[in-house]
Amino acid sequence: MKANARHHGKVTVVDLSGKITIGEGDLKLRQAVGGLLDEGRKNVLLNLGGVSYMDSAGIGELVACYKRATEKGASLKLLNPSGKVQDLLVLTKLQEIFDIYRDEREALASF
Amino acid sequence: MGRNVKLRLASRIGYVDLVHEMAESLAREARFTKPEALNIGLAVREAVINAMKHGNGLDAAKMVDVEFRRNASTFRVLVKDQGPGFDEARMSDPCEGANVLRTSGRGILFMKHFVDRVAFQRRRGKGTVVVLEKRLDNGGRNGRSAAITGRRR
Repeated sequence: MKANARHHGKVTVVDLSGKITIGEGDLKLRQAVGGLLDEGRKNVLLNLGGVSYMDSAGIGELVACYKRATEKGASLKLLNPSGKVQDLLVLTKLQEIFDIYRDEREALASF
Repeated sequence: MGRNVKLRLASRIGYVDLVHEMAESLAREARFTKPEALNIGLAVREAVINAMKHGNGLDAAKMVDVEFRRNASTFRVLVKDQGPGFDEARMSDPCEGANVLRTSGRGILFMKHFVDRVAFQRRRGKGTVVVLEKRLDNGGRNGRSAAITGRRR
């Protein structure tokens, strides 16, 4: 899994690619989001367009990131989950928790 | 036509990808489509993670046995651990209420979503066997997991 951050004004977009699974991808996701929150970033948009799939550990880490962001008074939203990832967000009912966007400009404007 | 493949692994998370890849490869060999083979791989991944973590407590001295069995109608995977065994009925529903925001406890949900049948055989003092089954007659054509859609903004 790869994570690259770019800044658009007050929003940080993290472009994720590969798979978010136990033992590697979940740790990288934790480090990427944790680092931004520690820097004091308050608006984080995770771009899941390049993520092919996640396992339960990856989904669990996504929830952990959301909770950490909320605890720090930050906002974490999702952009463009692939078919398989969207399927899992629906299955786990997390689509009712996360704000999920298909259009980046719309997502950026939502913060 | 039958084909059986057996693996024995120490309980190390680093081996999970290997089993996932083997499951996908054998499912493709059994003529499942690529998306269906990925689903089988994901179900096997969850069963192996459960066996290593919750069955064997990540004790590398304890083994996980994975057996792939294929006959004319079914692709079946058995995942055996050496732990104390667990009672599926005592697991809470990860989709209910506050459980949705839990950071773990979704493995069985994933398994049940990705294959046609999941069974747990608790062996007293000998661990648990998880049986995953996917029918070959509708392999790649049932579109089961793709049928779920969600609201998007």
